[in-house]
Amino acid sequence: MRVPLSWLRDYVAVGMPLDELASRLDVSTAVVAAVEHRGVPDLDGNLALFRIGKVLEAGKHPDADRLQLCVVDVGEAEPYQIVCGAWNFGVGATVAVALPGAELPGGLVLERRTLRGKESAGMILSERELQLGEDHLGIIVLDDGEAGTPLADVLPIHDVVLDLEITGNRPDLLSVYGVAREVAALFRLDLEPPPGMDPAREGDETVKVTVEDWEGCPRYVGRLFRDVRIGPSPAWLRARLNAAGMRPISNVVDVTNYVMLGLGNPLHAFDYETLADGEIVVRRARADERTLRTLDGVERALDPSDLMIADAKRAVAFAGIMGGEETEISDTTTHVLLEAANFEPTGLWRTSERLRLPTEGSNRWVKGVDPYLAEHAAALATELIVKLTGGHWVGHTDARAQLPERPVVRFRPERASAFIGLEVDSEEQHDILARLGNERRDGEYLVPSWRARDLWREVDLIEEIARFRLADVPFTLPVRREMMGRLSRFQRLRRQVEDALVALGCSEVYTPSLVESDSADDALRLQEPISVELAVMRTALLPSLVDAARQNADAGNERIALFEIARVYLPRRDELPEERVRVAGILEGGFLHTKGVVEALLRVLHVDANWMRSEHPLLHPGKAARIEAGVVGELHPTQLDGVWGAFELDLDTLFARVPERIVYEDVLTYPAVLQDIAVAVREEVEVGALVDTAREAAGPLLREAKVFDVYRGEQVGEGRKSVALHLSFQSSERTLTDEEAAEARGRIVEALVDRFDAALRA
Amino acid sequence: MDPQALENDALAAVATAASTDEIERVRVEYLGRKSELKLALREVRDRETGTALNALRERLEGAIDGREAELARAELDRQLTEDVVDVTLPGEEFQLGTLHPTTLTRRIIEDAFLGLGYEVIDDREVETVHYNFDQLAFAPTHPSRSHRDTFFVDDERLLRTETSPSQIHVMEAKQPPIYMVSLGRVYRRDEITATRFPIFHQFEGLAVDRSLTLADLKGTLLHVMRALFGEQRQVRFRTHFFPFTEPSMEPDVSCPICDMRGCRTCKFTGWIELGGSGMVDPEVLTNVGIEPEEWTGFAFGCGIERSAQLRHGISEIRPFWENDLRTLRQF
Ligand SMILES: [Zn+2]
Repeated sequence: MRVPLSWLRDYVAVGMPLDELASRLDVSTAVVAAVEHRGVPDLDGNLALFRIGKVLEAGKHPDADRLQLCVVDVGEAEPYQIVCGAWNFGVGATVAVALPGAELPGGLVLERRTLRGKESAGMILSERELQLGEDHLGIIVLDDGEAGTPLADVLPIHDVVLDLEITGNRPDLLSVYGVAREVAALFRLDLEPPPGMDPAREGDETVKVTVEDWEGCPRYVGRLFRDVRIGPSPAWLRARLNAAGMRPISNVVDVTNYVMLGLGNPLHAFDYETLADGEIVVRRARADERTLRTLDGVERALDPSDLMIADAKRAVAFAGIMGGEETEISDTTTHVLLEAANFEPTGLWRTSERLRLPTEGSNRWVKGVDPYLAEHAAALATELIVKLTGGHWVGHTDARAQLPERPVVRFRPERASAFIGLEVDSEEQHDILARLGNERRDGEYLVPSWRARDLWREVDLIEEIARFRLADVPFTLPVRREMMGRLSRFQRLRRQVEDALVALGCSEVYTPSLVESDSADDALRLQEPISVELAVMRTALLPSLVDAARQNADAGNERIALFEIARVYLPRRDELPEERVRVAGILEGGFLHTKGVVEALLRVLHVDANWMRSEHPLLHPGKAARIEAGVVGELHPTQLDGVWGAFELDLDTLFARVPERIVYEDVLTYPAVLQDIAVAVREEVEVGALVDTAREAAGPLLREAKVFDVYRGEQVGEGRKSVALHLSFQSSERTLTDEEAAEARGRIVEALVDRFDAALRA
Repeated sequence: MDPQALENDALAAVATAASTDEIERVRVEYLGRKSELKLALREVRDRETGTALNALRERLEGAIDGREAELARAELDRQLTEDVVDVTLPGEEFQLGTLHPTTLTRRIIEDAFLGLGYEVIDDREVETVHYNFDQLAFAPTHPSRSHRDTFFVDDERLLRTETSPSQIHVMEAKQPPIYMVSLGRVYRRDEITATRFPIFHQFEGLAVDRSLTLADLKGTLLHVMRALFGEQRQVRFRTHFFPFTEPSMEPDVSCPICDMRGCRTCKFTGWIELGGSGMVDPEVLTNVGIEPEEWTGFAFGCGIERSAQLRHGISEIRPFWENDLRTLRQF
């Protein structure tokens, strides 16, 4: 909400320093996004050089066809001769003049100068030169005014605009008057009554308004104006709209916008003659009504849930959102039907959502507009239309349902102090609430109608106290009870995984959980993604890591090793997906390198894994393995240039295998008996099977069995390999005899020979 | 043989020996099998002479051993002085990975909350309208419910827009006192820009207990901000609005980049806007079956990447998601 101070001052005497005003609003009311200085620099004496002038003489410059030579009374003893490039005025016009020495917005300082042989002492000004607006048409022509009057008295030639970010709970602040009310409360200032006073009505014509949907439209004030002259608005009105961020259009439309910005109630004006039977019907769209062309020229589809303004025959506007093109005010309009209504937020929000059409008006309706505001809005608009267009107000209707009662809220000052943690005197609390328009009744408050949606519980009133005293609230810590903080087992182990992988040379990455496509056909797909790349909830991490590795390789980075811990989203029909936390990695090097990293990770966690040959679409068909928690393998060569390894493991599955605690074993008191064996087996026998068989055959005395060499060569024979194992036999209860070790070794050899047709080589 | 003369000669030879080789030769000459002393000892017949010659032998052995040790040490010293390495050569390289700045910051936050006695919660990201909006008292017309602002999977399921649904899950599961911080990914339907990415991480603390106050919220937030940005930081609050808190406030932390002297990061205000906070709205408590007259609570949340940006002076969001090792290896 852009609030020009020149406008704000109509309603409250803002006298405090600007910094103080901005910072108080910022802390207690709404973020002040910007404080914008507009127009003529307010330096010493500069504003006095901008005056109202009366054009005494005007005629063509003798030596320039496009220039006008004017003599202007600026309130000095002698009139000034000024050369001007605009022709939209003549003798007798009241204009805005800058005298020599004046500094214009943007820093240009005017000097006396000679144009085609004629001296020009100053400048006759346009809106643009004063930064009042964007109008190119010509210079400003004022209605009247005495020559020499400071221009600043009639136009906000220097202004400050506060740009406030109004939160959704404070639609009452979406108006200059609402901000004035807040400023008055914060600074204990007097507030002017709301602007607008009904002029005398000049007729008693019937305004036919039928509300068929009181829920969607609890109030509809309709007013009829005849013999309206559509034209540009006066400079002061244009300046205010421009400063507040709206473009002036024509007097009637500008008035509706001015009232919306001034009071907060959006209005709409119809060209009365375009309404069939001159009638207004507020109803939902009919099933047979297909589209409406709105005044932005777009043909928009209607839905039966849309609240429409209709005439006797057809829908003519989306209520509260946007009017139709056919019934809008045009240059030729002479009779105007003004709508000052109240619309219910929820339904209007749905329509605005569906149409993707948020407007200044709908933005206010969806937050909730005070239904009691409509009559003030109608009065201000009527006053201005009559004054600015010469039109006659001839008809009035106020169709209303039972309007909601103002809430009555219990309030305990001692509860407020306790809740805030700051002792605030109860008289001060009552004073704050009263200044904000709440009426005290015993232990209760009657809330003002413009805050009825926001203040309906005690805590809402406590907030009013808190925000007024926010900076004084001390910094304390809770008095603690029965709670302790610690990481869960999962969180502890997750940190261990992160640290282990870092120690193993992998750098952690964060990749988007949304991907372009996923291998699972039923992966969750967003209804309205912002891009094709971020459209589907991934069911695996590896593809994202392949991308990250590729980007690093393309960037020329070396020794790439990456890992990520993140969720995957496994679809479950109409339910929420099953979310699993996984760790995945990708690193330069072959299968055994990656397996080594995974084994080291498993050692850190004290997890034993069962390695099995497997298949995976992203992995090399001959170099892919599966363990209980996931997959490990060499990347399929089509994925990336070079040799890469990759893994993806499910953390819950992995952590389920982590022992609760490590149980100590005495391995020092009784020494181990070390023996090596080498056996020749057929090529296809997996060494894992040899180790498993050795363990099984030897029983608990075999503390360790480790492959240390695999040899192929002539001595072993075609299609066979020699596998050498370190064996370590040990008991934690006694020293093993050589015979015991030899016997266990014998059982191993026997089993290997038996099962794999192994030949003992050493 | 004159033992005295022999001793004098031998000690002189020991003294003049200049290397371990020389002292070895002295040893052979005076104590070797064919040395005069050994031959004399073999000839000894009386006890007195024997004792005297053995004493002499021990003295000579001592002198030679001593001198030999001296010389050996001197030779080692000489040798080591020549055995020089250029200590500025790089060491053997062990590849080390790095934790992502998001994780580094996440851990600081977790640890700060653990120190205050909070549990750490990591909850689901795909949520229902019920948990993401309804239970958190979002008005039916709140803009976040719009498909323009939020990623929907269908009319009922969406990607959570804040970590707050996890608070509802915890509060539904147990009665107060509750002290928790939830951390994780959240999603907003923002276009990708230098400073925005539609996926980011958030942390959100929640406390529900008897007689918690707004002052307790301010104090707790100050503690966490100091853990994140240094002990010198100050915190101030500005009124704001969030559906699930009442009153609601936006905390500002004093700028850690310029220490309030004014810089581009703080737009020369000395303060940085950082997330949201407030007292838990009684409607939210009622929704989960907690009696708001008996219990009060506070909550506050903030972006983790945003915190990391401030900690490390990263002005854009891009480095957090592009995963370039040249960036990552700085951490
Ligand atoms: Zn700064």
